[in-house]
Amino acid sequence: MDFPLVLLLIPAAGIAAAIFLIVVLARRRH
Amino acid sequence: MDGDELVRDYLGRLDAASWPLPPERRAELADEVREHIETALAEAGRRDSVTVRNVLERLGRPEEIVSSEVDSEPAPPRWIEARIAEAAAKAPTLGALEIIAILLLTAGAFLLPVFGPAIGLVLVWLSTRWTRREKLIATAIVVVIFVLPIVGLLVVTDG
Repeated sequence: MDFPLVLLLIPAAGIAAAIFLIVVLARRRH
Repeated sequence: MDGDELVRDYLGRLDAASWPLPPERRAELADEVREHIETALAEAGRRDSVTVRNVLERLGRPEEIVSSEVDSEPAPPRWIEARIAEAAAKAPTLGALEIIAILLLTAGAFLLPVFGPAIGLVLVWLSTRWTRREKLIATAIVVVIFVLPIVGLLVVTDG
C-alpha cells in the first residue's frame, strides 16, 4: 500500500467529516 | 389573627398554590384577588377578622381558585414552550464530547493515524447533538474518502 497516500487520506477523510458535522451544528443554531 | 394577617395569610397560600401558572398570570391573579378582597372590605366598611373571614370564604380556597385557572389554561402553555426554546438556544452547540470527536477526526488523524479518526467517529455516534442521519453521512464521508481509495488501490495492486 502506498504509505504517503494513507497519510494524506486519513486527515482528508477526518477533516471532511469534521467540517460537515460543524456546519450542520452551526446551521441548526440559526 | 387580625383581618390584615388573615388577608396576608390567604394571599400567601394563593401564591404557594399558584406555582403551576405562568409567572405573569400568577402575579396577575394575586393582584386580582387582592383587589377583590380590598373592594369587598371597603364595601363592608370594616376590616375586623370576622368580616375578612366572610370575604375570604366567599372567594373560596386559594387552591380552588388556582385549580380553576389551571384547567382554563391551554395545554401545553406557551410559556413552557418558550422556556424550552430559550434553553435550547442557550445550550452550547459543542459539548466536550463533540469537541473531542472533532479533534480526533482532524488533529487525531495526524497524531494517531487510523485510530484517531476511528475513535472520533465512535464519539460522534455517542453524541446526542447530531441526528442519526448526520452521523451516517459523516461516517460515509470517512468511508468514501479514506476506505474506498485504499480498497481500490489494494485491488489494483493485487490485480
